[in-house]
Amino acid sequence: MNLHQPLSRLTPPASPADMIDDRPNDAVFRVSKSIYLDPDIFEMEIERIFSRVWNYVCHESQIRAVGDYVATEIGRQPVFATRSKSGDVKVFFDACAHRGARLTTRRSGKAPTITCRYHGWCYDTNGKCTKIQHEKLGWPNGMPKDYRTDLTPVPRVANYRGFIFASLSPTGEDIGSFLGGSARVIDTMVDQSPQGVEVLDGSIRYTMRANWKFQSENGADGYHVAAVHRNYAATVSYREQLVGDALDPMKATEAGRILNRTNTRTGGYDLGKGHMLNWSDRANVAAIPLSEREPELLKQFPEGFVKWMVRRGRVLTTFPNLLINDVASSAIRVWRPVTVNDTELETWCFAPVGESAKAREARIRKFEDFFFPSSLAVPDDIAAMEGAHEGSLATAMGWTEFARGRECTIEGGDDAAEEMGIKPATSTSQGDAETCFHGFYRRWLELMSAS
Amino acid sequence: MVKPDGRLFERVSAFLGIEAGLLDARDWHAWLALYALDARYWAPAWVDDYAMTSDPTRQTSLIYADRVELEARIFRIESEDSYASMPLPQTSHVVTCTGVQQAADGLVQAKANWMVHYFWRTKGAFVRAGRYEYELRGDGDSFLIVLKKIFIHDDRVVGPIDIYNI
Repeated sequence: MNLHQPLSRLTPPASPADMIDDRPNDAVFRVSKSIYLDPDIFEMEIERIFSRVWNYVCHESQIRAVGDYVATEIGRQPVFATRSKSGDVKVFFDACAHRGARLTTRRSGKAPTITCRYHGWCYDTNGKCTKIQHEKLGWPNGMPKDYRTDLTPVPRVANYRGFIFASLSPTGEDIGSFLGGSARVIDTMVDQSPQGVEVLDGSIRYTMRANWKFQSENGADGYHVAAVHRNYAATVSYREQLVGDALDPMKATEAGRILNRTNTRTGGYDLGKGHMLNWSDRANVAAIPLSEREPELLKQFPEGFVKWMVRRGRVLTTFPNLLINDVASSAIRVWRPVTVNDTELETWCFAPVGESAKAREARIRKFEDFFFPSSLAVPDDIAAMEGAHEGSLATAMGWTEFARGRECTIEGGDDAAEEMGIKPATSTSQGDAETCFHGFYRRWLELMSAS
Repeated sequence: MVKPDGRLFERVSAFLGIEAGLLDARDWHAWLALYALDARYWAPAWVDDYAMTSDPTRQTSLIYADRVELEARIFRIESEDSYASMPLPQTSHVVTCTGVQQAADGLVQAKANWMVHYFWRTKGAFVRAGRYEYELRGDGDSFLIVLKKIFIHDDRVVGPIDIYNI
């Protein structure tokens, strides 16, 4: 069998099935390099994935007061989420009912009455049109029966423990079914405080010249850490040396673990439905802001679940484009498909409500160390993903294979999965295996194949 | 700051130009030597279209560094082991002092506009801009930087944000 057959030119629109070579009996799982490059496949993804799945929109803590809003996109469609006067979070298409001008004027703000700046129409936070400029003059006989005057809500909105999702599809599975095992992983974060978690002020958008799926892979990819983040580990170690004995334990980092120098346990799950979890036991629990709450948490939750919260770092990637990280600090990241080779990413820090001031400040410093494009780590990830995209242009090479870790992968859950209460599709006993990507791309193909 | 002390303005402008030149020349240690041991280097993040973060204990910043952390960043750059920092872009800082004021505590407060053009052969040319706010302590004929706040206008950025391109 020739594993390196050059790809022939795809002239008619590529078929998604041509992008995936999945032959478990031959121990082969590979994707065509064109999956990252083909503009027709990208358009199909916009239509068949982003327009159908549950997309993360924002966190409820970002829109606490009535009229608070956050503007974003689902696929290409502009939407905004707002705290309605009924108390819940509503998500509308960000377009005036009249002639469609974008309603929000800022990325986030407060508008208990939403006024379109084009012709002056007004709406309340339930999307009801409350005022039409010069109405009687324009419609002396009253509004026509089928004329749209209210905002168009995004067909479905769901709130999973504060995480707001929306779907452009009016039908489909509910959010619990969509999230599957990843819901329980989110629980390990939200349950850290009786009041849940909150997103902190401060964010930035950054772009990468790479297909969005490289970021979907990156979060679940333990294997790159020792190479790409070696300099991060060396840098924070150097910094700690400079501070010396004055270093507060909560300010320490786990540089040794990052470089695979500690004997800590690591693993990963194909959670099913395309979701992936990468995890690693913490080498230095005192360095974790949450460690101050461990005794309290043990009174509320089973020991195994608390172990996951306090003693085990998690990087959750939910299909297709949401990452929630709870390792040294805690972060939410989304990556929006702009074009086939252009992706916009945005990251926020989140934290358990009510943690001590000391823990909060330590968490923020560690977040800044790793997660923004100004950090000591994320820029290197971006460079790696851009490099991976650029290398994929060598389509003559044909395929990219996800082969690492087959020998350490089992069907179903391991003991750690049982401690969390999840039933993953597969479990690996190494954090740098590549078998979880099989689940991601199988889900990709499932959605791409449905017309 | 409507009546600038001409001599002070000139001295501070020259100092800001020197700082910018050292960054563009990649003379990291000479650049770091302009910073007091108790210096703070702070690039806040955006909260909304008008406000940036202001409380580093409750809100995130792009960079919130003391002098040790600046030294660590230089270590990372010089390690030549950071995927994002090899190769470094060519940079040109254009800095214009917009005002100086002698403060009651003996420090000099200064404001400036900045723009950085940065270029990679592999990626092309990009520009960022914003404002600086400084607190400077007299040091003989020159100054030491006690506080540098970097306000970056761009909330949608290309490439790393690091000491060499803000």
